Amino acid sequence: MKLSDVGIRVYVAFFILLVYTPIILMIVLSTNTSGRISFPYEGFTTKWYDAKPSGFEYGSYISAYYDWAFWIAFQNTVYVAFAAAMMTTIIVTTVAMTLRHRIFGRNALFYIILLGFLVPGVALGLGNNILFRMMNWQFTWWIAAMLDTVYAVPFGLILMMARFDPDLMLYERAASVLRASPFSVFRRVTLPLIKWEVVSAAIFGFVLAWGELIRTNFVARGTGVISTYISTQLAINPITPKWYAVGTIITGISIIALVFMGWVLSRGQK
Amino acid sequence: MAQGPVPSPAKKTSGFRVGGYSSYLLLVPGLTIATIFMILPLAIMTVVSFYTTAPSSTGYLEIFTTKNYIDFFTAPNTPTLLVNTFSLALIAAGICFAFGFPLAYFLTFRIKNATFKNYVITLLIVPFLIDASIRTVAWIAILGKDGIVNYALMSIGAIHSPLTALLFSRNTLYIIWLQTYIVFMEFPIYLAMNRIDPDLIWAAKVLKAPPHRVLYDIVFKLSLPGIICGFVFVFVSTLGDYVTPNLWAGGVQTLGLSVSRYSDNFLWPYASVLSTMLLIISVIVLFISFKVVDIRKLVYE
Repeated sequence: MKLSDVGIRVYVAFFILLVYTPIILMIVLSTNTSGRISFPYEGFTTKWYDAKPSGFEYGSYISAYYDWAFWIAFQNTVYVAFAAAMMTTIIVTTVAMTLRHRIFGRNALFYIILLGFLVPGVALGLGNNILFRMMNWQFTWWIAAMLDTVYAVPFGLILMMARFDPDLMLYERAASVLRASPFSVFRRVTLPLIKWEVVSAAIFGFVLAWGELIRTNFVARGTGVISTYISTQLAINPITPKWYAVGTIITGISIIALVFMGWVLSRGQK
Repeated sequence: MAQGPVPSPAKKTSGFRVGGYSSYLLLVPGLTIATIFMILPLAIMTVVSFYTTAPSSTGYLEIFTTKNYIDFFTAPNTPTLLVNTFSLALIAAGICFAFGFPLAYFLTFRIKNATFKNYVITLLIVPFLIDASIRTVAWIAILGKDGIVNYALMSIGAIHSPLTALLFSRNTLYIIWLQTYIVFMEFPIYLAMNRIDPDLIWAAKVLKAPPHRVLYDIVFKLSLPGIICGFVFVFVSTLGDYVTPNLWAGGVQTLGLSVSRYSDNFLWPYASVLSTMLLIISVIVLFISFKVVDIRKLVYE
């Protein structure tokens, strides 16, 4: 048993290493003086982050700080991620509240909600693109937020319902036998018991919307959000450490969001 | 947990019962979003797949035709396309399982400290939320022409000129997909394993069951719903991913990639045909998997 324990630890460590090596190298190479992604490391510089453009650079050679299109995309992404987080929280909570009960059509409902995650992303993106062209609706950032919501809800729902306290419905019933109105049952009994699940659904929606590209690419091309901006730029520009600098900034923010999530979840288990 | 609707006293204080018809009101936001942004688009996409491509080949005319489907099934590259799409998604799901199952086992039965467990889970999610393009581009530093692998091989004198085929291959695709979608394999298995009673394992050990029997008969069999779920999640996600193959597959054609190519060229009807095929394939896979294993067991019942 001891030997297999060591084996599994080595395996997990190997996996974490495999996943994190590119991220660590990305952070290291974003400070490299070379204009290409290359080894060996030539020297430390922060020019890919904050060098003032002299006026002749384009795309990949403007530092991250002075690339105004990136910051517009960044701003849009923050909007999209917050909107998606809010929508995901509301929908996951309401649907979870309903699906706990043996209501008519529960299974059909569950499968419809689940489909948002299980339909291939490219089909969902194309369908929305065609629909919005047909209806002459404008492609704005909130469509991206809606698509992200459809994508995030099923997974958030599974995570929320799997973590429900088994006795939750007993407490609710006790409260309503004592003549609490449904609203105050929810506010005074249910919500305090599931608040960490609600918060984690919000963070989950935020996180999925933050880097989503497959669906978003069909409805918000070009500058749009960070993911579409970077993929458009990479298709027409050389790959320089500037993109690694951009990636480091985004990764930093993601990690802060996730450490916060880890903290929230570990508080929830106390 | 036999709990019916709330008993009648609550009825007097309010107009409706919790768990009664009022529950359906709570579904309005969820169902509205699902209808407008999922069901309606997919329905319209299926309709457009039967439309005629405009003579200028940008856009479509609203004339019914089955020519698109006949074209698809008689095109010489269709079998290759289907085989590629299927094999890539299946192998990716298999690789994710090979890493995801031991990881889930480790998380559930080996780590006792809750805070440490949450940080390991966090470490697993981080790669998933790094921007999709950045995540793929980061691999240039390792497998690229001037990446660390080529640099190491050249400095020990194993090769004289850098290998360029490292980056543009199916293997890179699998690694990136493993890095991205392991989360979808990991969580369902983890949730399923959490529901296994540790006393069962303890009892088996007391009765001197060999470790591989404990692993297979208890851990594997009881977490099977999670495993199938994870398999389906990864399979469907990789099926719909066209961004990564576009960058690194080294010219491998998949259905998803073709959909994005055709729609970039405004050939909506043909893109819709390919997309509908993709949809049908995934619905068949989902139907079969959910026949085998009840996904609802992860969530309720």
